[in-house]
Amino acid sequence: MKARMAIIVLVAVTIFCFSVVAGPHIINPFALDETSKEILFSIRVPRSIVAVLMGMALGASGAVLQGMLRNPLADPYVLGISSGASLAAAAGILGGFSFLGTFTVPVLSFTGAVITGGIVGIMGWRKGGLWPERLLLAGVGLSFLFSALLMLLMSISSDDGLRKAMLWIFGDLSMSDWSKVPYGCFFVATGIAVATMRAKALNALILGDDFAHSLGFAPHRERVLLFVSVALMTAASVSLGGMIGFIGLLVPHIVRFFLGSDSRLLIPAAAFSGGALLCIADLISRTAVPPMELPAGVITAIIGAPYFLYLLKGKNVLSS
Amino acid sequence: MTEILFTLGLGDNIVGVASFSDYPAEAKKKPMVGGMQNPSIEAVISLKPDIVVMALDGNRKEFEERLRSLKIRTYVFRAKRISELPQGIRDLGGALGQKERAETLAEHIGAGISAISVKGGTTRKKKILFIIWPEPLIVAGPGSIADDAIAIVGGQNIADETRIAYPKFSIEEIIRRSPDIIFIGKGTGMMEKVSQGLLERLNKVPAVRNKRVYYVGDYLYRLGPRTVTGIEELARYMEER
Repeated sequence: MKARMAIIVLVAVTIFCFSVVAGPHIINPFALDETSKEILFSIRVPRSIVAVLMGMALGASGAVLQGMLRNPLADPYVLGISSGASLAAAAGILGGFSFLGTFTVPVLSFTGAVITGGIVGIMGWRKGGLWPERLLLAGVGLSFLFSALLMLLMSISSDDGLRKAMLWIFGDLSMSDWSKVPYGCFFVATGIAVATMRAKALNALILGDDFAHSLGFAPHRERVLLFVSVALMTAASVSLGGMIGFIGLLVPHIVRFFLGSDSRLLIPAAAFSGGALLCIADLISRTAVPPMELPAGVITAIIGAPYFLYLLKGKNVLSS
Repeated sequence: MTEILFTLGLGDNIVGVASFSDYPAEAKKKPMVGGMQNPSIEAVISLKPDIVVMALDGNRKEFEERLRSLKIRTYVFRAKRISELPQGIRDLGGALGQKERAETLAEHIGAGISAISVKGGTTRKKKILFIIWPEPLIVAGPGSIADDAIAIVGGQNIADETRIAYPKFSIEEIIRRSPDIIFIGKGTGMMEKVSQGLLERLNKVPAVRNKRVYYVGDYLYRLGPRTVTGIEELARYMEER
């Protein structure tokens, strides 16, 4: 298992390095002219880092949520966090807000995500703890509400604002620059670290609250910790570059096929795989039809879904 | 569209306009029937129009078909490019019984365009980028009005091979193609703020380095009487220095 984990990390790092030098034009890092240097360091490196961060956050969050909610269909977006973020971001884009310059949309979406996470948390709270079913249902309910509000907002707004908002919602990494890297790193690293440290408790939670209790874990306390770490990671991810589908839902399942269901391995492995997948997807999105760019979220699903279906054939989902 | 009708002297005959019609100022006082893409058919019918004028570029074909099936007369303005504008206006004037005014307007536009295009020099064409929106980065590609205008003022649009009128463009490619001049549409105060981040990232590009980034009006966002104003604006900035 350790060897497989090492392979995943190695592959992820290789993909990252490759995605930095490849693109509409291949850049040779050992023979840089002024333009290539500029493109490499101010555009590609920060962009690939942001892609990795987003992918890691989504992969890890998915792995945590599927275990915590005991539901193979759970993903970071099912909690409504992304809908809240999208609604806030779209309102900002359509309303033409720019009070914080280029940080306006990320800050708005992060705030929207955190507020939504907070509401879901409050709704999921009953008798001194968070209950998986309540969290799920509250998330789904809020998700529908916010999506509807988003549609409402879009259908009463002018056409060109609409296009911009759509592009953002479908994931846009083209604007990633260094300024977004530090806070992205902070939330994603903290989230993954907390989740990995509580992975043993998560393993117990998957088997049921009573079981976890008998092993000496406090189920409600563990769930709050995990929920907060997931909410912050997802919020950071959405605010970095919009919604990217597929990774949070299916990457953890793909990783389970290879490594089994032990959360201690699953969480970091899903993080690295998610990061690598989004990195490849972004590479394709900016290389396929230059000088134009495609939305990376579309690419992740197009390359990821067939692979997942191929693996699914003849496997038992969620068995280790 | 609304603008052309007003210029043809039909302002008083207009019973309703698409929402977001903001020019001329009188247009804002007319009843609105919804956006270009999603107008309300009930609102249109309740205004009892003799004819509904629509644009091929902007309105949906299904809506036109729907109106016709309800026995409402429609007219589709077919011009999509600047070169088609004068003829488009003549045809429209013919259909609405304003032949003479349409002829005058068409000639005025045609003359305005040719007055500018004559100046196109023989030296190396300046490389131009017309930004519609900075984040996410949308630029004017081939088939857009701004692209036509760039050609008329003798520039070379660096996004001319995209095959899409308003493509999502790669920042990397802007740096590589190093435009001499960058135009940013809808030059309101807000646009300057929103585009700051992008311009910082493009600070090595000649246009930004030599302070040749210009915020222009929204004249090139739709075809009409002010299209010439938009082209003149680009030409004026091209000439600077």
